[in-house]
Order: sequence, then structure tokens, then C-alpha cells
Amino acid sequence: MKRKAIEWILGVLLLGCSLCLSVGVKLVFHACGPKDDGSFMTCHWAEQAVLVIGGAMTVISLLVLFVTNGGMRRGLALALAPLGIGAALIPNTMIKLCMMNDMHCHAVMKPAVIIFGITAAVLGAVYALVGKKD
Amino acid sequence: MKSLAIKNLKGRPVRTAVLMVLAALLSFTALGGTLVVASLGKGLDSLKARLGADVMVVPKEATMKKKFEDIVLQGSTGYFYMSYALADEVIQREGVGQVSPQFFLASTGSSCCSIPVQIIGFDPATDFTVSPWIKRTYGGELGKYDIVAGSDLNAFVGDKLSFYGVECTVAAKLEKTGTSYDTTVFTNKDTITALIQSSLDKGMNDFKDTDPEKAVSCLMINAADGTSPEELVNDINIHCKKVRAFRSGDMISGIAGSLGGVSQMIRLLIAAVWVLGIVILLLAFTMSVNERKKEFAVLRVMGASRAKLAGLVLKEALCTCLGGSLIGAVVGLLVLLPFNGVIEKTLALPFLLPNAGSITGFAVSAVALSVISGAAAAAVSAWRVSRIDTGLILRGDN
Repeated sequence: MKRKAIEWILGVLLLGCSLCLSVGVKLVFHACGPKDDGSFMTCHWAEQAVLVIGGAMTVISLLVLFVTNGGMRRGLALALAPLGIGAALIPNTMIKLCMMNDMHCHAVMKPAVIIFGITAAVLGAVYALVGKKD
Repeated sequence: MKSLAIKNLKGRPVRTAVLMVLAALLSFTALGGTLVVASLGKGLDSLKARLGADVMVVPKEATMKKKFEDIVLQGSTGYFYMSYALADEVIQREGVGQVSPQFFLASTGSSCCSIPVQIIGFDPATDFTVSPWIKRTYGGELGKYDIVAGSDLNAFVGDKLSFYGVECTVAAKLEKTGTSYDTTVFTNKDTITALIQSSLDKGMNDFKDTDPEKAVSCLMINAADGTSPEELVNDINIHCKKVRAFRSGDMISGIAGSLGGVSQMIRLLIAAVWVLGIVILLLAFTMSVNERKKEFAVLRVMGASRAKLAGLVLKEALCTCLGGSLIGAVVGLLVLLPFNGVIEKTLALPFLLPNAGSITGFAVSAVALSVISGAAAAAVSAWRVSRIDTGLILRGDN
């Protein structure tokens, strides 16, 4: 019973982090806007990449919450760990951001994506370990 | 007794969580507030250290520009020019010691971005303000088309950056200053002249009547021996009509004033949150003890001494406060360290985070302060518990 409650809390937190990455990166901690001529800066493509990974993580998180098979749930949660790390590596490491560190993509998007990506990775690993104990 | 305290906390998860949130709020406020105030102070110190010259002279029309002080002091984007003739008029004044011109140019956006970058040109032969600072990270001479990038520019040594179609090489990267200088590019006179010429060729700049080959933006002056900066500023302002001279220290006083105001506000906010937090903790512990009087009376009957009961209350308080304070400090660090760029931009003041050692010190102090405050608030309840009349409580007369 106690383990189920912990798994439920971890599952909800995982879903929260995934939603923050998928929805948040578009609405809250988005990249810089388009240039005056309408073209996008490189950070826009980093935002798109995070959106795709965040979307996949959201689907997996929902499965973690609703799949009944324990082993499958742990496996799905564990899959979120590399995805979370991958999302955290996208801004500036995999895809270069804008030129100045005080621009929105550096000041807001990068730290937020790193925090939510790493948190999701840690929670996913913890979920797999907590489930394994039983 | 230790395990009993933990069991009590686990048995009342909501109460424990509320107390932990309060302790977290206290440590978050203390750490966040202290870190912001310390960063503002460090930013101002950094700005003072970069001033370098006693007096700055700019063309009179420059003073009409919005944020003109930020352009001259902090490297914000913007430009203005005066002719060599005007500059010479100033240089000839009595009391002028070291003089070095600077040239400002704002890019229309470099190869990757739409945001303009401020480019500051200096004359290596006469410069005494920028060179000492650059020498801390780059010992060599800047060649033509070599640039030194501010610490917040996403460009590294060897990278090529294009301004007005001219490709420049990053020769060095500066240390962080916490000012707009962090997003500025420095280069020598030859390179900036080439950039200005290229901007004119592309029709992206207008110098009106000024010949760009014979123009400067700002003169950095040190007063000669025997002349005070005030005397020099007054002399230049009286005798050279088309320029304005400022004492560097006077220009910084406005920033220092804003910074003092913000710091004072933050300190007041910290004090208010702390007073409120401690009062709430005091009430929470008192209510909790009142509600558990019978539990403590039973423990007394079972042989627990008065000191042990007081110790139990204190241990519970210490555990919740320590857990909450640690969470508050971690959240504080997770908000302030990665998002310091947003704070800097929002405050629009020099903002430079202290070094790792100082940050650790602030975090440990915030946790300690929060735990001590929680323990002090719980001490009153612990004292009351040690004084309970067991018989009276178990008879249900209380």
C-alpha cells in the first residue's frame, strides 16, 4: 500500500516534469522570438527538439501511471532517465543557443529545461529502484 | 526517544509537512535575500573596479540619449561621436593628465542573433582603462580583426563572429563583471574603424557631418597631479561648450542609490517574512503541544522524565526545521543560481554572484539560522510540556 502511494506520487511528479518540458517550453520558458525578418534563431530549433522529447516523455509518464504490470511500469519509468538527460543536453550542448547569455533562451529556457530534464531522469531512476525493492 | 520523535512526525504527516514548509520558507527567504543583496553589492564593486578613469567626456548631444550613463559605464548598446577637433579642445585644457579615446558601435545583430552587440574600440597605445582588465585573461597584443568577447557572449577563443559583414576572430574572453560589459565586444582602434567603414558602406550607419575616420565617442581622462577631478570637470564644462564632462564617481552614484534602495527593500522583506514565520512557528508548536497534552501525560505516567518530554518536543522541532530548511536552501539555490540571468535583467542593476565558497557559507548560515529559530520557537512549548500537571490532564479537568 505504502509502495503504491510512493509510486503514484513519483508517477505524478514524472508527469509534471514531462508536461513542464513539453507544454512549458512552448508557453513559459520558450526560446527567443523570431527576428524582425520573420526568420528564427538557432534557439528556436532547440525549443522544437525539447518539445518533441517532452511530448514523448509525457506519453511515457501517462503509461507509467496507468499500466497495471509492475515490471512494465518500472521499465517505462527507467526509459524516462535517458530521455530526461537528453532533453537537458539539448539547449546549448547539442543545439547552440543565441549569442548572449542574457537572452531569453539562455536565461530562462536553458536552466528550466536542465532542471526539469535532470529531475525527470532522477525520478525515473528512483521509480525503477523503488518498484524493484518489493 | 529519538525514534519516538520520528514516529510522532510520521504519525502526523500534514502537521509535519506544514512545519517543514514554514521552515523551508524561512531558509529560502534568508538565503535568497542574502544572495541577491550580496550579488548586487559585488556587481557594484565590479563596476567601480572597471571605471578606471577620473573623468569621462562625451559630446553634449549624447547626454540627451536614454540610458546614456549605462552606455558609458556599463557597455549598454548605443553610440555617439564627436570630432577630433572637439576632443583636441578638451585634451589641451590645463590639468588633463592621461587621456585615451574610446569608440562605440552597436552591431545590427551578429551572424546568429537579432539582438545588437555593443562594440567598444580603444587605442592600445594610450588606453589605461580597458587594457588592464583584458590583460587578466589575454596577455598578447590584439591584431586587426581580433576581438575580446564579454563573458556572457556565447563565443569562445578562436570562434569567428561577423559584424557588418566583417569577420572577426575571438582572441580572448573576459571575466564576468555582472554589468552589460559581459555582452560587449572590445577591439582595437584599427578594427573598429574598419567596422565603422563597413557599416557606412552597407548604409547601416549615419555619421551626419562627422568624419568616421576622425571621430571618437568618449574621452577617458585622469587628472594631472595637482588638479582634482572636480576642478577638471568644472574647467572642461565651462570652457568646452559642445562636450560634457562627468566625474566617474558621480555617474556611479545613481546606480549605487538604486542598488541601495533595492537592497533595503529586500532586507525589509526578509525581516517581515522572518517575523511572520517565527510567530506562525511559535503558534503551531504551542497548538500542537496543547492538542497532545494527554499524550505527554501518558508518557509521564509511563516513566518519562520532564526533561525527556521537553527533549522530545525539541527533537521533533529540530527534525522538522532541519528537513524543511534543507529543502528551502536547495530550492533557493535551484532558483537563484540557474536563473540569475533573469534576476539581473529584471533588476537592471549590476549583479554578480559571489564565489562558490561564499554561496555555500550563505546556504549553511541560512539553514542554521532557520533551525535555531525553529528550535527557539519550540523551546517555549518544550518548557510548557515539562511543567504539565499529569493528574489534572488525565482526569480530563484541563
